[in-house]
Amino acid sequence: MKPAPFDYVAPSSIEEACAVLAEAHGGATVLAGGQTLMPLLNLRMSQPFILVDLANIAELKGVTRVDGGIRIGPMTRQCDAIDNKVLAHDLPVLVQALRHVGHHHTRNRGTVGGSIALGEPAAELPAAAVALKATIEVRSVRGTRQVPAAEFYIGPYMTVLEPDELVTGIRFPEWSLGHVTLFCELAQRPGDFALVGLVGALAIDSGKVARAGLAWFAMGPTPMRAKTAEQLLSGQSLAEIDPQAVAESAIADTAPFDDAQASADYRRTVGTRLFARTLREALNVTEAA
Amino acid sequence: MNAPDRRAGANAGAEPAGRPHAGSGRYIGQRVRRKEDARLLTGRGQFVDDIALPGMLHVAFVRSPIARGRILGIDLDVARDVPGVHAIYTQQDLAHFNVDMLSFYLVSPEVETTPLANGRVAYVGEPVALVIADSRPIAEDAASLVVVDYAEEDPVVTIDDARSGPPVHPGCDDNIAAEMGEQEIDEDLQALLEGAPHLIRHRVVHQRISQSPMETRGVVVSREGAEELTLYITCQSPHLVARWVSLALGLPPGAIRVIAKDVGGGFGLKNHPWKEETAVILAALMFNRPLKWIEDRYENLIAANQAREQEMVLQVALDDDGRLLASHGDYSVNNGAFPQLSECNIAVHMFVWAAYRMPRYGFLTRGWYSNTIGYAAYRGPWAMESLIRETALDVAARRIGIDPIELRRRNLVTLQDQPTTSCMDLPLEDITPAECLEKLLAAFDVAAFRREQAAARKEGRYLGLGIATYIEPTGAAGAITTMTGELAQVRIEPTGKVTATMSTHSQGHGTATTMAQIFADRLGVPYEDVTVFEGDSSRGGFSPGAAGSRQGVIAGGAAIMAADLLAAKFRQLAAHLLDTSVDAIVIDEGMVRVDGAPDKCRPFADIACIAYGEPDRLPPGFEAGLEAQYRYQPPPMTFSSAANACVVEVDADTGFVRILRWISSEDCGNVINPAVVEGQIAGGLAQAIGMVLLEEVRFDARGNPLAATYKDYHLPAIADIPEFEFVHAGTASQSVGGMRGCGEGGAIIGAPTLVNAIADALAPFGEVPVDLPLTPTKLLSLIEGRDLSAKTVDDQHHFIADHPVTVPVSAAAESAPQAPQPAAAPTAEALVDGDWKMVLSTPMGPQEMTGHFETRGQALAGYLSSPEGQMDFTGSVDGANLKFDLKVDKPMKITLKYTLAVTGDKIAGKCKMGIFGSAKVTGQRA
Repeated sequence: MKPAPFDYVAPSSIEEACAVLAEAHGGATVLAGGQTLMPLLNLRMSQPFILVDLANIAELKGVTRVDGGIRIGPMTRQCDAIDNKVLAHDLPVLVQALRHVGHHHTRNRGTVGGSIALGEPAAELPAAAVALKATIEVRSVRGTRQVPAAEFYIGPYMTVLEPDELVTGIRFPEWSLGHVTLFCELAQRPGDFALVGLVGALAIDSGKVARAGLAWFAMGPTPMRAKTAEQLLSGQSLAEIDPQAVAESAIADTAPFDDAQASADYRRTVGTRLFARTLREALNVTEAA
Repeated sequence: MNAPDRRAGANAGAEPAGRPHAGSGRYIGQRVRRKEDARLLTGRGQFVDDIALPGMLHVAFVRSPIARGRILGIDLDVARDVPGVHAIYTQQDLAHFNVDMLSFYLVSPEVETTPLANGRVAYVGEPVALVIADSRPIAEDAASLVVVDYAEEDPVVTIDDARSGPPVHPGCDDNIAAEMGEQEIDEDLQALLEGAPHLIRHRVVHQRISQSPMETRGVVVSREGAEELTLYITCQSPHLVARWVSLALGLPPGAIRVIAKDVGGGFGLKNHPWKEETAVILAALMFNRPLKWIEDRYENLIAANQAREQEMVLQVALDDDGRLLASHGDYSVNNGAFPQLSECNIAVHMFVWAAYRMPRYGFLTRGWYSNTIGYAAYRGPWAMESLIRETALDVAARRIGIDPIELRRRNLVTLQDQPTTSCMDLPLEDITPAECLEKLLAAFDVAAFRREQAAARKEGRYLGLGIATYIEPTGAAGAITTMTGELAQVRIEPTGKVTATMSTHSQGHGTATTMAQIFADRLGVPYEDVTVFEGDSSRGGFSPGAAGSRQGVIAGGAAIMAADLLAAKFRQLAAHLLDTSVDAIVIDEGMVRVDGAPDKCRPFADIACIAYGEPDRLPPGFEAGLEAQYRYQPPPMTFSSAANACVVEVDADTGFVRILRWISSEDCGNVINPAVVEGQIAGGLAQAIGMVLLEEVRFDARGNPLAATYKDYHLPAIADIPEFEFVHAGTASQSVGGMRGCGEGGAIIGAPTLVNAIADALAPFGEVPVDLPLTPTKLLSLIEGRDLSAKTVDDQHHFIADHPVTVPVSAAAESAPQAPQPAAAPTAEALVDGDWKMVLSTPMGPQEMTGHFETRGQALAGYLSSPEGQMDFTGSVDGANLKFDLKVDKPMKITLKYTLAVTGDKIAGKCKMGIFGSAKVTGQRA
């Protein structure tokens, strides 16, 4: 299919983009990497009046260290983020998650912010943002606000983003060096959306879990923060962690659904196992190190 | 190119008379590089969408959003107003053509089948109207504004629905599309089954499959002169398409030229045109401008004919030694609404036990109509026979406690048993499944695997070995009107180069390569000097092209025969010109030598120049030129055989299947090009892996397709396919050249091989129900011993399910604003005032709203209210005609200009939406 007619603008600054969004009164759709939007346009499932292409806004690109963390520009391409040395050093689990986003070809155009803002519940990056306690920086002509990732997602493809708002940055707080990383994704074919996925990090201080960040993907209408498991882990010494018990508490915070690829029951059953397996393996690696 | 073995030195024409065999030669049997690849791999192929003709317009279809219903009315007014739209046709416009939608066998359909819907729709996606516009996007804009009013009825979707539901086609008594066999199992057979020491009752459910060719359907039609038509169409045989179009449309065959140079896969879908292609051809005849329709992937997945969707129960009786005693098969296949052939798949029963010593077999076989996309062929259309037999045999082996390999050894027909006839009276002369099995076992150490399997199970790892054998009917000719022999026409040009024109057609089969290998070998010229032409109905002669694994077998034979005729002629001329005997002529790589006379050496071109240009130098009575042709009629059927082995590991935590190893041991006789043969086998095996693990065309209860994009229809990708290993058995067949077909075998044998491997791995947990695809959820359910399947039917996470195919129904069809009768008309107040339920049909879908109108003289005031809010307006009224403007700023600043007319309790008209064109408004009193 071919898209319905639309107008196209490619502003060169955030201010200009925000002004277009404000004037469009909800009739505009933002084009980042287009790896989801283009098929939606072609299927006429998305019929915006104006397409606002962010490709020319240089300030939306790049990865920088900021006070106590990392800031990723939303128009940073996924392939560039994978190759980024700062990310590889500071937040290796995010790079691990990025490697599972779509395919080589889609990552060449797909952006970090595009995936974050779309809110596909089976996608890796929204869950990583929730797990790692990222803050989504949102701008409009009305001003700037910082939304914790855990509050950003309200349903499948639904976020708190207003029609005139633009994601202008994703800030990840510092996860001290040597933190334990957790990542597991089960998909029918490489590059498919997950049937079950989990991502997380454990900050370690003197052999104890100082801070835990855990989230599921494909396990509910939004990325699902495993809050109970986070609380259970916090303060525990590594030696006394019972991966099975943590996994069972983590699965309690999910709300999976049935679809053609897997049933909710399947997702819960396998999710618990993969969580326990992933945690066990991560702790083994940590102990060995 | 790989260097061929030139030492052999061809001596074309020296073959003994009778049945020439190809064997292996300088080129035949070699992995020669394909002539097509340079063009295809550098993007210089010529597919239908690469064709652009001057003045060409584009077509889009309006498709039914419901699976079953009556069409109450079609309103084209708004769509016709879209700038750039040239014409919109419905079946009414095409009716005078009286089209006969023939099957592949050129048989008229069992049920009325029209290019566009004729008063009723019978599946979601059925084409209802055809829009011709300057561009495809404009055509789609307009298609979305065509308003079709339906009276929806409850659809018949599944085979079960078809058994009990109302007839899909009015005038039919039931939904049986085709039926053969016995309604009741014969008493003797029943006694044999019941009295047997072991009776296996095995059920297989095969999901519906989309053929998914890389190039979707498409056609460019150009009418040239009063009755001449040129068709660029993606197809499996330009000759068959030309014949079909001529017969189906009643056009003189000489006036039709069909061109399909490159085709991106057919797999059975493209045997002949169907509804959409036919509608475009008719539209081009009417509109008199070249038209292009390229099916997009969405259309391909929801509206191109589909395959499989079968259920079968096979009963197999065995004695304590595992010897087969008797069997019965009960088979059903979903034909959809308008199958390309009303089909009950008798071939399933012909071949189910053909390779086994089965004393007695009975069957009942039926095809069912349903409100789904019609049935079409798919690589190995009868493949259920191998799937159900081979999986049933493994179940039997486990039940009786015999090794599954041993069970096959005890029952397979061997070469020593032949000639013989099967339980369905099929003559067998040289099938070799037992021999393929032994060759397979020589390449795979079963005992070592069983040790590894036992050790792995102790660690909680589940490895499995699947083995399956089969025979495949290939190269059929002579029994079915379209399944003819093949024609080869070959010339040594005055340049000394060889050109050949073949009746073959490639959708990736590499026939331009394999046929060139034969010509180069038989004529004694370098492979580089041979060019093969095909893909154009104005060249060569009739054949069904790629259908039934036939081209290597039959066209290969034709190429050998034609080449040998030409070689004999060439040698006669060479002997005459070089003043020697024919026997002394030696041909080597495009050079002619005389045995014992090294100075008498001439290039082909010298001889050829004389053949064409110097008639005085030719032998007396010698026909000038160097040309020959031969239409080869092969034996009625040539069987290929194979045995495959596959090793998998099933993750008992997740139900995921990993394929660790796969060996194909197949006998396709003399192999022209092993790389081409292996490509055919590997492609079929990949499709089988898709069928077993991934692919599924699903519908909801209302007949809505649920896998409308490749996000939801999962084809196997490169990472899902193992590196296949190949063993070639090479038993020459009875046909000229000794080849056997290999086009469909992988797709047939792959499924039972993989299912058997999974069942072997999971044997500790019980029998795997063969309900394809074997998803992780299904396999984990078996492993866990509890049902993990979805408890809700609702597919809430779906990408496309809720997306309407076309603009859905609006209320009224008789909608044109009508001028009121001023004299007799009641007052505007009485006509207009009050609340109206209205639907605005926008390109984004229908928007429902309530209109409130109050008139005061010629002044109008009121509001439109919808879930989004309420908007007030003022306007004017003239009798029953209303006009008002509405300024909105969401989603953007735009003025909506409404022009409506009231007729009784109905209201209809238009809303002009600035640059977005007009939308239709319909409604009635609230």
